[in-house]
Amino acid sequence: MTWTQFSLGALVLLPMLGAAVAMLLPHRGRRVLGVGTAVVIAALTVPVLVTVTAGELTELVLGGFDAPLGIHLRGDGLAAVFLGATSLVGLILTSYAAVLPKSTGTYLSSTAWVPGHPGFWPLWLGCWSGLNAVYLSGDLFNLYVALELVGLTAVALVALGGRSSWEPALRYLFIAVLGSLMFLAGVGLLASVTGTLDLQQTRQALEELDDPTLSLLALTLMTMGLGMKIALLPMHRWLVPAHSSAPGVVSPILSGLVIKAALVVLLRCWLWAVPVLPGAEWLTWLLGGLGAAAVVIGSVLALRQDRLKPLVAYSTVAQIGYWFLAFPLLLPGENDDAALASGAYSAVIALALGHALAKAGLFTAAGFLKDRCGTDEIEALRGAGAHHPTLILAMGLCAVGLLGLPISLGFTGKWQLATAAVAAEHWWLILVLGAGTLLSAAYLLRGIAPLLMQAEVDDDAPAANPVTIRERVGEFAVLALGVATLATGLLGVWLSDLLEVGSWW
Amino acid sequence: MISPLDITLGLAVLAVTGLSLIPRSRLVISMGFLVLGVLAALVWLRLDALDVALAEAAIGTGLLSGLIVWLAVRSPVPPGAGAMETSPRLPWLRPAIGVLAGASMTVVVASVWLRAEHHLPQWREAAESQLPDTGVEHPITGVLLAFRAYDTLLESGILMLTAAAVLALSRNGGLSAEGAHRLGVHQTYVPMPPVPSALSWAARLLAPPLVLLGLWLLFAGSTDSGGAFQSGAVLAAALILLRSAQVDISSLTAHWLRPLLVGGVVVFISAGLVGPLLGLPWLSWEPEWAFAAVLSVEILLTAGITAGLYALFLTLENPEGVR
Repeated sequence: MTWTQFSLGALVLLPMLGAAVAMLLPHRGRRVLGVGTAVVIAALTVPVLVTVTAGELTELVLGGFDAPLGIHLRGDGLAAVFLGATSLVGLILTSYAAVLPKSTGTYLSSTAWVPGHPGFWPLWLGCWSGLNAVYLSGDLFNLYVALELVGLTAVALVALGGRSSWEPALRYLFIAVLGSLMFLAGVGLLASVTGTLDLQQTRQALEELDDPTLSLLALTLMTMGLGMKIALLPMHRWLVPAHSSAPGVVSPILSGLVIKAALVVLLRCWLWAVPVLPGAEWLTWLLGGLGAAAVVIGSVLALRQDRLKPLVAYSTVAQIGYWFLAFPLLLPGENDDAALASGAYSAVIALALGHALAKAGLFTAAGFLKDRCGTDEIEALRGAGAHHPTLILAMGLCAVGLLGLPISLGFTGKWQLATAAVAAEHWWLILVLGAGTLLSAAYLLRGIAPLLMQAEVDDDAPAANPVTIRERVGEFAVLALGVATLATGLLGVWLSDLLEVGSWW
Repeated sequence: MISPLDITLGLAVLAVTGLSLIPRSRLVISMGFLVLGVLAALVWLRLDALDVALAEAAIGTGLLSGLIVWLAVRSPVPPGAGAMETSPRLPWLRPAIGVLAGASMTVVVASVWLRAEHHLPQWREAAESQLPDTGVEHPITGVLLAFRAYDTLLESGILMLTAAAVLALSRNGGLSAEGAHRLGVHQTYVPMPPVPSALSWAARLLAPPLVLLGLWLLFAGSTDSGGAFQSGAVLAAALILLRSAQVDISSLTAHWLRPLLVGGVVVFISAGLVGPLLGLPWLSWEPEWAFAAVLSVEILLTAGITAGLYALFLTLENPEGVR
């Protein structure tokens, strides 16, 4: 039992323990415990990253029962990079929430709605536990359980936003449960022909199968269910109200991390659990087409928003499209070589990680302005930048990441995607990438530029209140996310090396 | 050969499903749902899945129907009745698309399912050979608390966090009020609506046998069907009955609800941590103390599940509604 193996289990179980203990504490104690747990999780991520950097795949056989009887946790490249990103974003957002409790929602006391929700802490730690469980799981049913954990806590976190957020939260709940059920149906179908739930054993058993129809049906069901949870374009309507009505620090958690969990499960299904199926091409092309539509339509819708948080939420819908654009390139066909697929794969990961950092920063900034000024209408926020130079700088850095300008991970991802598209002669992909980048420049400008305009701010307006020290610290947390957006752009090569560990090719 | 009983059962499930979906009145819907639960439990029994049948009867029928009936009595007309607008020109379009999509999906799935060559689970032999080391005799309990204990742990975490979510949405965010040690669940202190005295007596009479049944399900779980989830559901039903009969159990809920709620998960994780301390993987039970570990985890999990399900019932009332 090495330190890394200990970390694999502890990364899931310690945040869950933290969530349980937090429920017994008063509000102040919950904040302290939350930050403490976040630091411990970040520290536990280090041994996993070190081991994977050394090129080793760590496996933990829980309870000592080998698959197919027991469950394996696997610390491979995909798990390691998402663990790293989640720990970084999670640590920063936890500190932000601890410093500015106002951002965690409002609760009803016996007389009035009070800002600063104590229920945030157990739910967020539980959500984090679920995220880590999703990344590490090597078992199809366990992936379902972990996904449920993430989905349920995410719904509850949305509902902390007060009266107006209950309806979006309920809608999100219906979608999340429906998506999970479709995924579970797919898992059941696969298990009925393979007799196992372990990812690797499922693949081996499916490769020996003559008739791919059932695997194809299962894959389609799982893809549909996960597409709902990721909010791929025609299934995106729940995302905007849920993400924009959630409390200030919850929106970045949802947009930055929670939808990535479903993406990881989708990649595990497509690339690990199910071998390349004859007849799956149409599905990859469908996903690619929906991705292209998401990039264009999501961006246009973002451009039409008058409020900052819905604008950022629609930008998430658009960015989700990029990950699906790569699907037609992801499966090595008969003529294409495997290098193409691996390039497309690391493009998806780089885009998703870059989005996790940049969108978390941008949403935190939007939530900060909404908490401070009481509104997120872009017109009303005109000139707010004069009081918050640090925040505006951070938003600019995040915008660079979302646009995909050098040196962010977004740039790395788009570059790899474009390279793969040229090699496969899919010229339409370049067109979509270009159009998406231009449109995102337009909507980000529309969101951020008014903050910089000269404007008369009334003396009694909330924006004119003196900025407290806590708010200054909160601004620096957002800046940390902005800086991380750029700094991780330098890690592109390391990222590709990490992804090689335990990859499917 | 399919027996006529199975066909009747299948048709009845379909009919009752329709009954619990189509009517507008919440009371009719909840009655339909209750019957559906009973039928589903019978279906599981016919499939020789006694454990699933028990869980279905306890949680699906007993508790969920309890919650739904409560809702139907409190507000018989759904607030959203008719809110799902049918388009004025083509009122049949949405149902038609729904039926068409459902039918084609059923046909596709059924044809693929029937054509495929099914395999029995590969873990069957391994489960039988390793069961003696786990300290339990019933294979399903073995799967739940030893082989796939990790899944069970995450699921009990989900139940705990569900309770955390509903507590967070009640008054004071589920925290104790300032200066008081009692739980800030205002519903605890709101009296239940009066019930006929006969019902109250029936509830008082029913509660002790229910508690006994719950405990039997818990302890039988190591050798026979039953276990923490079924037992917790029955115990929670007993608590709900007592509360409905206006027996004052608020001191229990005020002080013990939250500790009980988290106790199962805390002890489960601590027991899982013993493995790494001894140099074994997470969640390993050594044969010498496996039975003790599994039993204490199961008892506290039952308490946690009871508390969680009871918390769901307690917080049904809208926090804004009662002032």
